[in-house]
Amino acid sequence: MRETARVQVVEPGLSTVQDLGRADGPRSGQMAGGALDQYSARMANTLVAGDPDAALLELVALDFAATTDADLLVAVTGADADVTVDGHPQPQWEPVVWRAGTRLAVRRIRSGLRVYLSVHGTFHTRRLLGSCAPDTVLGFGAPLDGDAVLTVAVDCPPVVQPWFDIPFFRLGARPHPYSGRWNVDLTDGPDVGEFGPTAARLVATDYVVGDRSNHIGLRLRRADRGPLPGREVATEVLSRGVPVGAVEVPDGDELLVLHRGRGVTAGYPVLAVVTSVGLSRLGQARPGETVRFRHVTCAAAIADYRRQQAHLAEIRTRVQTVYTSLGIPLHFTDRHFTDRHGHPHRTSTTPSATELQESA
Amino acid sequence: MSTALDISDCGDAAVRVTCRTTDREQAWHVVHALSGWLDERRHDHHLRGAIATYDAVLVEFDAALTDHDAVRGLVRAAVAGSRPRSIRAPRHFDIPVVYGGDHGPDLARVAEQQGIDVDRVVAIHTEQALVMRCFGAPAGAPMLDGPRFPLPVPRLASPRAAVPAGSVAVAGRQAVVSARQAPGGWCVIGRTPRTLVDVDRDPPAAFAPGDTFRFFPIRAAEWSAYEGRLDA
Repeated sequence: MRETARVQVVEPGLSTVQDLGRADGPRSGQMAGGALDQYSARMANTLVAGDPDAALLELVALDFAATTDADLLVAVTGADADVTVDGHPQPQWEPVVWRAGTRLAVRRIRSGLRVYLSVHGTFHTRRLLGSCAPDTVLGFGAPLDGDAVLTVAVDCPPVVQPWFDIPFFRLGARPHPYSGRWNVDLTDGPDVGEFGPTAARLVATDYVVGDRSNHIGLRLRRADRGPLPGREVATEVLSRGVPVGAVEVPDGDELLVLHRGRGVTAGYPVLAVVTSVGLSRLGQARPGETVRFRHVTCAAAIADYRRQQAHLAEIRTRVQTVYTSLGIPLHFTDRHFTDRHGHPHRTSTTPSATELQESA
Repeated sequence: MSTALDISDCGDAAVRVTCRTTDREQAWHVVHALSGWLDERRHDHHLRGAIATYDAVLVEFDAALTDHDAVRGLVRAAVAGSRPRSIRAPRHFDIPVVYGGDHGPDLARVAEQQGIDVDRVVAIHTEQALVMRCFGAPAGAPMLDGPRFPLPVPRLASPRAAVPAGSVAVAGRQAVVSARQAPGGWCVIGRTPRTLVDVDRDPPAAFAPGDTFRFFPIRAAEWSAYEGRLDA
């Protein structure tokens, strides 16, 4: 068994090594950053028995291809795409065997913008404040170029897949619901009162994602060109911490929804805040696509988020069962895991990768 | 602590705590002490972090494991108990600055607006240590108290598209040193050769709210002698 796999990027597209972001960034004034679709990134890692915040690749919009010099178990989540290994179609949202010497390609990314590619193993990455997430403002991390070689510490035994074109795993991870429009929930922001009745203009109408949208924030204009919410008071706002998901109206013709690359403090009133579940969907919204906001309570938003986390936990349990039966090591560590009721998982029920190797 | 706090929901994974007092100095002390107290306990209470500015703290949490009510309770417990204190001892930074010219294109403008000469602007800007109040955007720039100019400094009528890193700027009753190049509407009176936020070290910045910064003038010819990381 090899200890290090070398992944040679052949066609980088627009790809970066990512994780869930820099949890310790905001307290020192730095963006959290990390995968814009946190749900798909978490699921990709879960499918390869990794911690949710393990490093993985984020592929944005453009075709990607790479070769490996060792057998790898990988998973591809996020937006729909044509995923192939040496030309053979592979499923998304399930683990896939990527054989040594073959080429994995992700092409025609659609119904979304970002694809996540996780690997069973550990990417060797440079970290800042505990995270490998690129920070475009600080100048940390960079998109992969056409010569990039990624090294991955691996401990997976050969996985024999006798019928090459037949999907090997059926774990049942669910993709985002997408029906030609992104339905995104939001809650009232702490400053909603400053907008009076105009706050209602946020919901029940279509917004179109603008071209200047990026990981710092999405800019949205009304599809019908109708008026935006407007602030009804003119007092100056002291700079305050702003959450990821904050909806602001900095000028007359576009809303700004801050995403994970946002500056952590700003002197703008917060009209609304996109929910945790909604933010993952917005991370998939392309310029030109339509977004429809729906107003929910914080309690409903939390319940929705916990359902999503419970689904991740459910898939994790299936991964654990299936991988254990196949002798594939698990790389989960317990500090990240909560069960479907939101309680931290007990250590004793999860054999560590080392224990599995020792018992094998 | 007898200060009244407002605690507002700020999305499904954060609350904003605002200190209601007309005493801005007291508000700043309260919110920074509170954020320090919460930060120490973040792992036990499923908090992601606390971002304090002037009169407010944004407390972010893991909504899978806790909720607004629990975090409200924690904040109330913090202020009801013994007065929370910040644990970090303040650091002091001396900042070399090349004033005027290409490094400080608005120096003359500020002098004219204040009705004093350029040397006097530099003298006031360098005469005392300024307290860092919070991190600013982008890249965690130190937001400082303003120097004791006679008048507040108006912002530029039309912001610059790109203000370089290290720019030393003033506006209103505030001062800042840019951490990274960005658009900006503040009056730039000088620039420091020091690197404030350095991704080659971890953590990338040495400063935090409560620290003090004192500027001192250097000549443009001395620039390279002062290049390097900013350390206390």
